[in-house]
Amino acid sequence: MLRLTACLLLLMRLAAFGEVHPPAQVTAGKGFSISTTGSGDASFYLISPGHVAKREVKLGQDIPVDASDVKKAGRYLAIACGSGGCNSAAFYVMAAEPDKVSFFLHPSRVRVKSNDAINATAFVFDQFYNLVLTPVTVDFKVIPKTGPPIDRPIKSNLGVAWMRVASTPKQGPVKVIAEVGKASEPRVIQQVASDACNLRIKATRTAKAVLIETDPLRDCSGNAIPDGTIVSFTEIDGKGKTTVDVPIKKGIARTQLPVNGRAKISVASGVVIGNEISLGGGL
Amino acid sequence: MISGLSRRLLRLVGLGLPIALASPLLLEVLAAGSLPQVQLSAGSIEPRPIEELTGTNVARDYAYAWRDLAQALDHNQADRLDAYFTGFAKDTFTQRISDQKTADVHVLYVDHGHKVKAFFYSPDGGEMQLLDKAQLEIQVYAGGKLIHQENAAQDYLVLMTPGADRWFVRSLEPIAGSSF
Repeated sequence: MLRLTACLLLLMRLAAFGEVHPPAQVTAGKGFSISTTGSGDASFYLISPGHVAKREVKLGQDIPVDASDVKKAGRYLAIACGSGGCNSAAFYVMAAEPDKVSFFLHPSRVRVKSNDAINATAFVFDQFYNLVLTPVTVDFKVIPKTGPPIDRPIKSNLGVAWMRVASTPKQGPVKVIAEVGKASEPRVIQQVASDACNLRIKATRTAKAVLIETDPLRDCSGNAIPDGTIVSFTEIDGKGKTTVDVPIKKGIARTQLPVNGRAKISVASGVVIGNEISLGGGL
Repeated sequence: MISGLSRRLLRLVGLGLPIALASPLLLEVLAAGSLPQVQLSAGSIEPRPIEELTGTNVARDYAYAWRDLAQALDHNQADRLDAYFTGFAKDTFTQRISDQKTADVHVLYVDHGHKVKAFFYSPDGGEMQLLDKAQLEIQVYAGGKLIHQENAAQDYLVLMTPGADRWFVRSLEPIAGSSF
């Protein structure tokens, strides 16, 4: 008799010891129900990467889970603790549809006609800022000031898509856009002239010196070298070597050099060396 | 009344403390031993290769981040996230700790190590994405009572970004193993 009572008590305890059965996979931001077994009152815990919820439930009934409780993607634990103990089950919440794109564009300034100089990286998120792990096409659009736009559709891998592209030949702002569905993130990169091309100087005698000036300074794509760029003039004469650094003003660099006897004058800007002129007479 | 186990512990502390004080090297080893183990591989990383020193620093800082996360979730102290977490990751775990306090829950992670594969390093060096196969023992306590315990082989998708002197965890998302 005693043994029978003990068995009945054990069975009652097992019946009250509720199991929780969440779906194996849920989409972020969508409510659902977790079915339970057993009977009696229980405390229900939902533990997620970014949220913990607790409430009292009745075992044997479905537990509704609100959409606001499953905004964060990741692994969730559903735990029910009744009079017979606790039982738990894990399930995953996956990101919802792509809705936002986080876009990084580097550098902010780039020389024209440079290979792989523009780097674009886009992270694809759903509306709750969960990374969308399923492959999604990110449309990168490069829109230069002049010339045709460049389209680069790239499939994301575990939430990230990236590309490298050459800068275009003309200086000025270039817009780069990353698009995923309706989400669009524009960024602007400034293309600047490259090194001077065909750097040439000419000399003009003045009363007390020689005026040295460059031709209008442009890169090999015809972009004007920006004012302020330093041009170095070097004079070698009987007294030795003299170097004068001059910023470009209105597209031209100029300086006056006193010349004693025979002299050679050369010009350089950055890594570019220009022509050399020889002066025969002193002043 | 001191039990046999307590007596053994006291003896160990009694022996260990003078040795530890006498040897700074041992202290370092003990300190290093308290960090979770992180093995980083970056053989197939793209588009930018990872420098050896960067790899060492990322592995070190990721280990520190997990140490801090485990302490923060166990003691419900969000300020422990300040040193190695930023952005979404910090916001997410701060919210969770706030919720844990409300529900009188705390979670203990016993960390058995991380096999981490770095697979994306942005061309400008501003972002690194990693996949972590973590071995964790997870214990959930409610009102001081153990309500759940499991040994979990959990995969994480991690986004780390460099700061002035360290790498920060910007996103740490547990994902299903089939995701990669």
